[in-house]
Amino acid sequence: MDPLFTIISIILILPISLVLGVLYSFLIRKLNARFQWRVGPIIRMYSDLSPVIGSTRIWQPLYDILKLMGKDTVIPGSAHKKLFVYSPYMSLIFSILAIFFIPFPGMPLLSEIPYSLIIASYLIIASIMFTILGPVASGSPWGAIGARREAELFLVAELGFVVSLFSVAIAKNSLSIWTLASNMESLPAILLTLVAGTTMFVAMLGKLHIKPFDMPEAECEIVAGPYTEYSGKLLGTYFLSKVFILYAMVSLFIAIFLPPFSSGFIWLPLYAVAAVLLIFLLAVVQVLNPRYLIRKALLWYLKIVVPLAILSLIVAFAFVLGWMVV
Amino acid sequence: MKYSADAGLVDYVRQELVPEGLDFNALRENRIAVKINAADAVTIADRFVNKYKARLIHETAVDLEGSGFEMVYIYDFSMLKERLVVVLEAKIPKENPSIASIANITWSASWAEREIHDLLGINPIGTPDPRKQFLPYEWPNATESGTAPAQPEKGEKGVKDMWIPLGIAPKDSYATLIPIGPYHPGVIEGQTVYVKVEGETVVSADIKTGYHHRGIQKLIERRGYHKGVFAAERVCGICSPHHGLTYVTACENLYEAEIPDRALYIRSLLLELNRIHSHLLWIGVVADVIGWKTGFHLTWGLRERVMDIIEAITGNRVNYGIWRIGGVSRDVSQELAEKALKTVVPLKAEMAALLPLVAAHSVVQSRLINVGPLSQAEAFDGGAVGPVARASNWKIDVRADNSPHAMYDPKKINWQVITDDHNDTFGRTLVRVKELLVSSDIVAQCLEYLVKNAGEVINEPKMIPVNSEGIGLNEAPRGELVHYVRASEYNNNLPQAYRIRTPSYRNNAVIPKMLVGANLADVPVVMGSTDQCLACTDRVEIINEKDGSVSSMTWDQLLAMSRRAKVIR
Repeated sequence: MDPLFTIISIILILPISLVLGVLYSFLIRKLNARFQWRVGPIIRMYSDLSPVIGSTRIWQPLYDILKLMGKDTVIPGSAHKKLFVYSPYMSLIFSILAIFFIPFPGMPLLSEIPYSLIIASYLIIASIMFTILGPVASGSPWGAIGARREAELFLVAELGFVVSLFSVAIAKNSLSIWTLASNMESLPAILLTLVAGTTMFVAMLGKLHIKPFDMPEAECEIVAGPYTEYSGKLLGTYFLSKVFILYAMVSLFIAIFLPPFSSGFIWLPLYAVAAVLLIFLLAVVQVLNPRYLIRKALLWYLKIVVPLAILSLIVAFAFVLGWMVV
Repeated sequence: MKYSADAGLVDYVRQELVPEGLDFNALRENRIAVKINAADAVTIADRFVNKYKARLIHETAVDLEGSGFEMVYIYDFSMLKERLVVVLEAKIPKENPSIASIANITWSASWAEREIHDLLGINPIGTPDPRKQFLPYEWPNATESGTAPAQPEKGEKGVKDMWIPLGIAPKDSYATLIPIGPYHPGVIEGQTVYVKVEGETVVSADIKTGYHHRGIQKLIERRGYHKGVFAAERVCGICSPHHGLTYVTACENLYEAEIPDRALYIRSLLLELNRIHSHLLWIGVVADVIGWKTGFHLTWGLRERVMDIIEAITGNRVNYGIWRIGGVSRDVSQELAEKALKTVVPLKAEMAALLPLVAAHSVVQSRLINVGPLSQAEAFDGGAVGPVARASNWKIDVRADNSPHAMYDPKKINWQVITDDHNDTFGRTLVRVKELLVSSDIVAQCLEYLVKNAGEVINEPKMIPVNSEGIGLNEAPRGELVHYVRASEYNNNLPQAYRIRTPSYRNNAVIPKMLVGANLADVPVVMGSTDQCLACTDRVEIINEKDGSVSSMTWDQLLAMSRRAKVIR
């Protein structure tokens, strides 16, 4: 495609992904609240309060981050200073880079290049790696335990993530996200979407710290976990990168498993519906579950996700070998 | 209703239980006070605990000012004779006060002996755990002119190995030691639990309390019986009516109390409503600790409706302020009772439908089953009370054994004691869920009585006699609660001594035992499983470590300190 258009769309995707990421976080918070007999962030502010605090609180997740940006940042004396300070920024940079490789309706961005699937998944992994490295450098025991849990969970969730992505890639014989995203579904491919999509959904729970897989952020057990020593701008940067990761995971899911919703601009309404449905499912899982112990989560993954992943690989190979008509 | 005493019990106690007693005094309601020699305390404790399977309710000491200290041992004999409580009293001199420890016989005396040593300076000789209880470990020993108590010797076998796995102070701590507290998001109140972890598995644990001293016991000793009701209610914010009623029961125990039936029903009604709200609160807290915010909000949503009923009846949500010695201050009108009944019945149906579902959730079960194990023998020796003991299949409930001055008569109210044989946190959850339903039954029956009948709610208070002792027992939501009042020798309106033994005082003592072998993620769950409520007692003193001089702080000085103003001495 036209390089100029690519550059323009790369510039455009930044505000789009920020807005969508904030909206997704808002939606999770609002749905959670409504399921729990709470109000949550108010969509239309009460008339007597609106002159004071604005007419809506839809942007509450963003306000939370902006508030942190204006706070003092404390760097503990026991921390490895460079790693401690740069990790949040690296995490943010990698999460922003990742969204350049994931298509948005009407904007292929960099997803057309041949190995964009591998690049995108590595960038997402890199972003998460820096949420482990920073806490390890903080010198706090809670940070260390939180980082350890994050690493264990990461290893566990990664399996489902990689296998589900690559079983689709194997079946469609391409490593370019754009090719996968614009390839119309044929009827038997829905089977693959179901199996691999479920695996990917479970992996997303771990990556996005949705209950029952939010052990790294279990405040009752390990205070603030990885973020215990972080404050001010550095914490805000971590939260900002989480917003981008949320957007990246949702749009990657839609691009890979629900083609062609991410290809043409005309698919935008369906893309929106799919995103809201996905967020709704995430919120329901979040509401229904307490937190697993990390070793029990691992057992659960071995019992449920590994067979599912193997199944999706088998289905993918079935496509390749022509056992099913593509 | 009038509470009478069994006349033949003194002879039974004299001949059967305590032949070495010096003086026998029959108090009211089958409570017998026996004066003994301090030297006999250990042999008697051994006989009581090992032969009669009696339970030590509390051990405390009273400062007799000029003539020394008096050790007070309160034993529960309700399984032998109805409502029988034996109070042993042994006098010890003021100079170099010491008493042989009974904590080697029953571990439940350990915390009490540490507290006595902290607050009165009486040295328990041979106690397995001589560390400070409420004071900081580093606190200088002012009462003993600077000499520290002997540290426990290493390598001994026995009680110590079972209950004190980690005999260390914070200064001896190592890298593997994780302090949970004094203030930690998983536990609401201030306490420190030191856990020693290998990986994420707890190999050893220890608990330190003493962050909540407010001096309520002393306050009541200075204020007189009738004002004490309101101070006693403020011991705890969650089970405040239980503290208020237990205090009232102890005071009514001092004289021949006669309480109108309607007052008894109102008392039961409020106690059980409080139990419902407290258990719902606990389920919510545990749901929050295991990361289930939805469970937290659901149970607290139900709880809010119970709080509304309480508010409609008493006018208050937390400290009801309607207990009076001799009855209650405020009647529940028949219309109000009818209205409350209409709220309680659907609420019970909703809880009966919802809570078993919560308990059946597979992830909830995976977080609770086999977490914080406590066998029945350990529960008995450690002195666990309330739902913790009942979840270890030990049928102990003060309402049934030695009921407070409220309506728990099985002939008039149909209810039963809940036990469970899971011996773990899941069992504690089930016990509380079932107790909620039993409590709502009791509430409904009380309300039905209040709708149908009318009558007085308070009798004219009588003069409280001098030289008497009263014991109030009650089943608070967390377990057995004891208030001990000793009337003054000359003043009709002031107690000489007043002691509170809260259920968490006992249950917290067994927490380190339950923690060993748990995952670090389970530590807040185990700590939460006893439903802690840390109400303690102390006065504020400043001790100059160099010369040992003691000075007290006045209220103004504390206020000035809290405002960071200049402290005036």
